[in-house]
Amino acid sequence: MSKHLVTLNVNGEDHVLYVDSNERLIDTLRHRIGLRSVKEGCGTGDCGSCTVLLDGRPVLSCLILTVQARDRRITTLEGLGKGDELHPLQEAFIEDHAVQCGYCTPAMILTAKALLDRNPEPSEEEIKEALGGVLCRCTGYYSIIRAVRSAVKKMHGVRRMENER
Amino acid sequence: MSDEVVVAKLLRELERKAERGELLYIGESLARLDSLEKVLGRPVYTGDMLPDETVYVKVVHSRLPHARIRSIDVSGAMEYPNVLAVLTHADVPGENISSALIPDRQLLAYDEVRSVGDIVAAVVAEDVRHAEDGAERVGVEYDPLPAVFDPLEALKPGAPRVHEHGNLVKHMKVRKGDVVRGFEEADVVVEGTYRTQFQDPVPPEPMIGLAMPGGDGSLTLIGSLQSPHVVRDCVARILGFHRDDVRVVQAVTGGAFGTKSDEMPVDVLSLAALASIKTGRPAVCSWDRREMMIMETKRHPSVIYHKTGIKRDGHLTAAETRVYMDTGAYASLGVLVIMRATFHATGAYDIPNVKTDGYLIYTNNTPAGSQRGFGAPQVIFAAEAHIDDIARRMGMDPIELRLKNMLRPGGMTSTGQLMDESCGLPDCVDAVVKASRRGRGRFDHGSGRYRRGMGMAILYHGNSLGPEGSDYAVVDMRINRDGRIVLGTGLTEFGTGSLTGVAQVAASVLGVPLNYFSIERPDTGKHKPTGPTVASRVVTIGGRAAYEAAKRLRARLDLVVADVLGCKLEDVAIVDGMAFCKGGERTMEWADLVEAAYERGVKMDEEGRYVVPECKWDDETGQGMPYRQYTFGAAIAEVEVDVETGRYRVTDFYAAYDVGKAINPAGVMGQIEGGTVQGLGYAMMEELVHVNGRVMNPSLADYYIPTAMDIPERMHMFIVEKPGVLGPFGAKIIAEPPAVLPAPAIRNAILDALGIGVNDLPITPEKVLMKLLKKSS
Repeated sequence: MSKHLVTLNVNGEDHVLYVDSNERLIDTLRHRIGLRSVKEGCGTGDCGSCTVLLDGRPVLSCLILTVQARDRRITTLEGLGKGDELHPLQEAFIEDHAVQCGYCTPAMILTAKALLDRNPEPSEEEIKEALGGVLCRCTGYYSIIRAVRSAVKKMHGVRRMENER
Repeated sequence: MSDEVVVAKLLRELERKAERGELLYIGESLARLDSLEKVLGRPVYTGDMLPDETVYVKVVHSRLPHARIRSIDVSGAMEYPNVLAVLTHADVPGENISSALIPDRQLLAYDEVRSVGDIVAAVVAEDVRHAEDGAERVGVEYDPLPAVFDPLEALKPGAPRVHEHGNLVKHMKVRKGDVVRGFEEADVVVEGTYRTQFQDPVPPEPMIGLAMPGGDGSLTLIGSLQSPHVVRDCVARILGFHRDDVRVVQAVTGGAFGTKSDEMPVDVLSLAALASIKTGRPAVCSWDRREMMIMETKRHPSVIYHKTGIKRDGHLTAAETRVYMDTGAYASLGVLVIMRATFHATGAYDIPNVKTDGYLIYTNNTPAGSQRGFGAPQVIFAAEAHIDDIARRMGMDPIELRLKNMLRPGGMTSTGQLMDESCGLPDCVDAVVKASRRGRGRFDHGSGRYRRGMGMAILYHGNSLGPEGSDYAVVDMRINRDGRIVLGTGLTEFGTGSLTGVAQVAASVLGVPLNYFSIERPDTGKHKPTGPTVASRVVTIGGRAAYEAAKRLRARLDLVVADVLGCKLEDVAIVDGMAFCKGGERTMEWADLVEAAYERGVKMDEEGRYVVPECKWDDETGQGMPYRQYTFGAAIAEVEVDVETGRYRVTDFYAAYDVGKAINPAGVMGQIEGGTVQGLGYAMMEELVHVNGRVMNPSLADYYIPTAMDIPERMHMFIVEKPGVLGPFGAKIIAEPPAVLPAPAIRNAILDALGIGVNDLPITPEKVLMKLLKKSS
């Protein structure tokens, strides 16, 4: 099998790697770069646990080959906060009790981030639709939806203050 | 005054405070202890800790539902690159049995396979891909045997035998009064048959186990599991090890829902251990989703017959019920599931004459076992559907019929157990009825294409294990010199937040904030046996053990405070990590208090142990007190059905549960919401289809579970608190019951909307439409 030299920008850092043609992005992220927040729940693109952001859009890293992500920007949960500061979504997931077993949490937070980045004030339906691709078996989704709404409030609060300045 | 007298006095004072509700943190929705690491993506699940030199194990499972194994040829796999070993029954040094209760299941089959989930061999390779490819090169020759897939067929004379000892695994009975006389007294007798399906638990994290060799021949096993001590004992038996030479650690576990308390963790950890012993390297055995859906234990399918006598005034006089559960090829924990199912089979009603028979039956389907609700979802679906069928037949309002017959304080269960003031069922019913559209005015059934209906269901749910097992808990508590409080227990948590609840109980007794606590990973090398983590019992029974430990530590600390600050014992207070004497000026920080205690040589660790008082159950008479306390619940579903397509949606779901005392209300509500949606999946869409023993839809593309798009539009929750006798501050269990009520409530709502009763789960649009077409023709 041929090897390919690829550059991936992961969480703001460039990684230059030799990868096999058939290497899955999830394996590169987990095993080569050590980003363990990316979770495998089915390996067939049905559960959404392996969701990462590719140029800001949620993708299933178990269905993407690493070579397809060449020269693109990848975000995992590890890349979300700034230093010790949590992203408003991370804060809201704690405060709204939106975390149970934690296995889908990285995918849920990243999917919500992608939604809020392109639609800062989504409706309830839009939130449900956006999260529809990630399965959660513990929470029944209600607390996760509440957390996304809280994060919207937090982010808007900040924006409004910035505008007032 | 002797020390013991002082401690006893303090304990009384603490208990009085608790009764007055003066203890901090109880009833507060504190954030769970692991939520920060989880939103950062940092928890270490088993698959996140594989050393570089790890070898991989993949299994070969049977292709036939029932067959004799003629030969197993491993040569093709052994010649495949990077394959290190192939394991078969011949490689099992100890007893080749992977089951806890009935020794009916081989870890690696040697003479016969009885379901397509049976493991025949396992291939050990340098990486997953080669292990998988190697597994395809193991040649197994079979001689097919006659098989049986229907539990009722399996009971008939001459049916193919799944095991030599016959297909009936267990018969359980409940007897109360005299049903013959009860039916004579009835004005009307109503009968009904109800069926439920295989439900897959779908824990988000698939099954995985890692074996790490210690240099001295010992083994450490790390896995995604519920009950480390049970797993240790079973794996040690398979390996032929002394149990102390096997150490089992529970890694962070991504959901379990009962299936990780059954045989699956024993399978993967035993195979990983055998591979590790063979190669001298760390070994991991994991199942992918497809393998999970074939090999893991699922919810038992059932057929349930009801026959009920009723007077014209609506009083039930007699109930005769038969529950048939298909446990697949192996009993697993099914022998306990049928027990709980039989106890609860006639529902939360006070019926004077009851005769219930429960049968657990082998077939050549894949094995069923422990899953959230543990027999209750099947029997409560049938019982509650049947109550609505009776109401319809009698021309009565189904809520009125329930109010007339349901359990209340002073009422008696089918097993002859008297209900006391801790029966909060009437309050639960009241809460959901008042909140529903009907309670707020008239319910509009609509007309034309979209019809609306409302349906109710109620339950009672025996707490903890009762006659199902040894019911105790041990929680070790240690206050470190830096003030940190460390909890260690063999009880586990796999998503519910139960150990946060346990810490919250201790925080309340000690008077320190929750963030002073840390919880050790459950580890058989460190923690004492503590009974299995099942039956939602961690906060209730484990919390009670933590309460016992914390009380003793608190009493000793109060003595130190009184000594240092120079006041009377009864004036000592510790509030939010600050100690002081009532009426005094001086205070003492928690860290200083702990330091002062250490300087005085005070014992700063304690083993908390709680043993549930023995339950009285008599298999022969079918009578007794199987559980010491019950959780109660009531739900109403409001649905809107499209009569053109049979599609329906649940617009509102009202759920009220009597949890005794909500230690952490947000945690309780998380269980209600999550359980409701899991129950909604059971009601509306989930079915693991078996055809001649083969699983037809072992993937999440073909087996649907609810997504965020499928949940009821509005979820209304109510917490009722009628304290029980077991849990700390009166707490009762909550994780399982919410998964039970959606199926009957939704079924009854569709009955209300259309006059159509769908009696076999799941209630798909196709079934609704077929019934509609049949009705109109």
